[in-house]
Amino acid sequence: MFVIRMAVRETRASWRRLLFFFICIAVGVAAIVTLRSVIQSVREVFGQEARNLVAADVLISTTRNWTPEARATIERRLAAANADARTDTVETPTMVRPQDTAKTKTRMAELRAIGPEFPLYGTMTLEDGQTYRHEMLKDRGALVRPELLTALDVKVGDAIVIGQLPFTIRGVIANEPGRRVGDFSLGPRIMIDIADVETTGLLAAGSRVRRVLLVRVPEREVRPLVRQLRDDFKNQFVNARSFRSDDDEIGRDFDRAENYLSLVGLVIVILGGIAVSSVTRVFVLQKIRPIAVLKCVGARSGQIIAVYLLQVLTLGLAGSLLGLLLARGAVASIPYFVPPIDTSSAGTLLSEVNYGVTWSAAAQGLGIGALVSLLFSIVPLLQVRFIKPSLLLRDETSTAGFDWTRAVAVTLVGAALVALTAWQAASWTVGLAVCAGFAGLAVILVFVGRLLVSVVAPLSNARSFPLRHAVLHLSRPGNQTRVILLAVGLGAFFIVGVRSLQGSLLEELSMQMSEDSPDMFLMDIQREQADGVRAFLADPARGAGPAKLIPVLRARVTGVEGRETQLESFEDVRARGSLAREYTVTYRDQLEANETVVEGRFWSGPATEPEISVEQDLAERFNLNVGDLVRFDLLGRTIIARITSLREVDWRDSRAGGFMFVFRPGVLDQLPQWYIAPLKGPPDVQARARFQHDLVARFGNVSVIDFRDILLTIRDAMSKVTLAISVVGALVLFSGGLILIGAVAMTKFQRVYEAAVFKTLGASTGTIARMLLFEYGVLGALAGLVGSLGAVALTWGVSRFALDIPWRVFAGEHLAGVALTAILVAAIGVLSSYDVLRHKPLMTLRAE
Amino acid sequence: MIALTNVSKTVTSGSQPLTILHPLTVTIPAGTFIAVVGPSGSGKSTLLGLIAGLDAPTSGSVAIDGTDITKLDEDGLAKLRGEKIGFVFQFFHLIPSLTALENVSVPLEIAGAADATDRARGLLQEVGLTGRAHHYPSQLSGGEQQRVALARALANNPPILLADEPTGNLDSANGRHIMDLLQNIHSARRTTLALVTHDRELAALADARLVLRDGHVVEHVGVDVVASRSVAGSGGQAVAGAS
Repeated sequence: MFVIRMAVRETRASWRRLLFFFICIAVGVAAIVTLRSVIQSVREVFGQEARNLVAADVLISTTRNWTPEARATIERRLAAANADARTDTVETPTMVRPQDTAKTKTRMAELRAIGPEFPLYGTMTLEDGQTYRHEMLKDRGALVRPELLTALDVKVGDAIVIGQLPFTIRGVIANEPGRRVGDFSLGPRIMIDIADVETTGLLAAGSRVRRVLLVRVPEREVRPLVRQLRDDFKNQFVNARSFRSDDDEIGRDFDRAENYLSLVGLVIVILGGIAVSSVTRVFVLQKIRPIAVLKCVGARSGQIIAVYLLQVLTLGLAGSLLGLLLARGAVASIPYFVPPIDTSSAGTLLSEVNYGVTWSAAAQGLGIGALVSLLFSIVPLLQVRFIKPSLLLRDETSTAGFDWTRAVAVTLVGAALVALTAWQAASWTVGLAVCAGFAGLAVILVFVGRLLVSVVAPLSNARSFPLRHAVLHLSRPGNQTRVILLAVGLGAFFIVGVRSLQGSLLEELSMQMSEDSPDMFLMDIQREQADGVRAFLADPARGAGPAKLIPVLRARVTGVEGRETQLESFEDVRARGSLAREYTVTYRDQLEANETVVEGRFWSGPATEPEISVEQDLAERFNLNVGDLVRFDLLGRTIIARITSLREVDWRDSRAGGFMFVFRPGVLDQLPQWYIAPLKGPPDVQARARFQHDLVARFGNVSVIDFRDILLTIRDAMSKVTLAISVVGALVLFSGGLILIGAVAMTKFQRVYEAAVFKTLGASTGTIARMLLFEYGVLGALAGLVGSLGAVALTWGVSRFALDIPWRVFAGEHLAGVALTAILVAAIGVLSSYDVLRHKPLMTLRAE
Repeated sequence: MIALTNVSKTVTSGSQPLTILHPLTVTIPAGTFIAVVGPSGSGKSTLLGLIAGLDAPTSGSVAIDGTDITKLDEDGLAKLRGEKIGFVFQFFHLIPSLTALENVSVPLEIAGAADATDRARGLLQEVGLTGRAHHYPSQLSGGEQQRVALARALANNPPILLADEPTGNLDSANGRHIMDLLQNIHSARRTTLALVTHDRELAALADARLVLRDGHVVEHVGVDVVASRSVAGSGGQAVAGAS
């Protein structure tokens, strides 16, 4: 009873001073609840729609032509599984252009040719209230995504050329079943009738065509059918999967996203926790006398700790509730930010999601907020045990020896935090890693902070009175320097770090785009088109740089016989992971500029014995050595080639020769093959558009990838990622600002008293204002410096080890980071100390 | 009854040990009003603190009603204070975040009294502060604060009341008021009252008197004292060991 009453009274008395810290908790909880809720809401829709998304129960696909044997096997299995509907589709990326030759535009698009039964599940929705009927596609009709209309400057009713044939746009696709979320897309979708696809000339060898058979079977047959088909086709290029595997995969993606994003929220909550810990420490310091009084009138330490724990819990819950309200607001505002028409069908689906705070997210947020508040306040509250009632009679400081209870408490709290993080990340490894990383970062920030404080310490002898005192204040008793350096420094670290990384990456990419290096890539050039394309490219009027046509074939490794590696069958190869994938291979007689032989000898001249040169990293990964025999399946033909050299490839300049396997000429020359061509496109935008348009007009099946466009896309994507991480950094910085305001509020009484003494001694309000300005300016500059140094280390580490790009320092970003942080902290510090400046000294001194 | 046996207190001041109270043996019978007198730094407050169990003696034992309180741990001491000892400080030491009524309720609540608020209200009435029950300490005058502190000290009706210069921080009118209250309480409740003061006039009101200087008893009236380097005897003048 006493504990509850006291807790209520204490909360009533001190909530204002503790408010900011619990706003920190609120911000963190809001982040967790918002992120979890959004993902859960989105996931619910996607989960319900998994079957509609896939548009079938089972998908059977191949990147080759269907062989009669394969179809026969499939038919047999489908009959056995009582399949009651099926429909064929064909998908391929292709170039499209307006039929109107006055418009010199071209665009890569993803073509999907469908039959009348499509879709087996879900509905295709069109814009402008049109209802989809397959008849719309008859006689070379096409449905397109709205982006294509803009890109090609065409409208419904206009004709576009796909391959060599004109198609009429009959409608605009709003939502299309059977498109996976997050699928990499080379361009907007175009739907045509499957009956028309053969005539477009797009299905030649080498084209990246995917044929998919969509099947509807009774629920119980789904899994057995997929299993049987996989068994039937384990050695062939036929793949079977069910809508469930999509569902599972989507589920896994969402789980991962949800957990990782929650960690971001947790980091903010933990930062709030650190603030709680620091405030509790100061709070106990300020409550020493009342606590001694309580002990004097008979209260036990345990009761007093219980009082304050209850208070912290109350405020923690209040903070969490505030967080829930913030989350509700944030979640409710999402529909205003999701555009009704997105570039993908996923976007359309997103706008159908019913956004709301989910119960589980809310419960988790509340729990985490309260738990973190408790965990972080326990250790400083243990100090209550050492407060002696005798200090009411005599000023004394008791120094305790090693405190086992405290050590145990610290350990338990640490373990609880790891458990909490692991729970949020749904992985012990991640939980431990994040906690260790956070602890490490905190230790480094604190250490660097302390170092910097000692570096500026000589300024305490400065001539300027305000500066001298400002520096002294950084290490005054009960200072918040460490916490503010940590929180503000961390925020600055996130923002400056990610901005520098973005700059670094973009600069690297534009470097690669520069000068004479190829910036355009032609694909799917057929053998009989090779001379024509060569002539086209050689025409100086086109403005393109010199180009070389590289012959390519598709090959799959089906076995290895070597010193260290024996993979007898394709099954063995498949068991080895990524060695089993399909490779694009070439043959040539010389090394490219970005290649060097590191082992063995590169051949000269053709030979009838198959020989290959293997890329070094791949060879290392799969224990391939010079002299080993590798068995390939090249379009159904088995070729056993001996490794005669290993090559190192500089992947940063890989557009001229990024091949894992290069064959010696003489063996592959007569096999079905096609060409690719990297080239330097015309520099002028108009000329580029004209070049692509004319090329596609003459060679309809040739695809053009324009790296300049891709660079733009990457730039766009990266700025979005940077924005997202910057938002996180801003949130952290915001928490840092709150902690700062709270810290100022906590020590305000001391400040007001000091200011009163200074004023009595003749300091003007201006001098005291300057003192505060310097103090927070120096603190902010230090925090900015800590963050910037961290960011420098981050960019170095990521550039060196993760991205393998040269390390660049963006001095401007870093300087701006330090300056802005200093200004921000100084402004917050001085503004929240307004009371200190305003108080009349006599009043203050009398009150003491 | 309060019995101190060979009680001394030494603290470390800087690196030097400093004896605040030299070994002292004294017995204060229940119901006695004793004044502890002496100049600043003579060890008066320390003696009071040792009796209250606010502080542990360096040597010797302190027995309250036969219980050796030096054997109790912090929580045991807290319980003892809650039940048997009321303490009034020179600087009031009210809890600033609580109202007058709440300050008085706290010891009752700690002791688990069901009617804590009602009893606290009664105590405030006893010290003449009925109208100020919901004021915070900062809204009360010094005299009023001390009366609240007195009501708080009386909350659990303790057999022993210890007052450390209760008038030291008050003007003479308010000081007089507090002293009247203390005397009334002592006579009405038969409470053992130990009053620390350096005001000889106030000390004259007491049944017994103990005069300290630099940690030594230099004079005692009405109580039996065995003190180091002092001469025992009722009404006798102790031989001062120092100065």
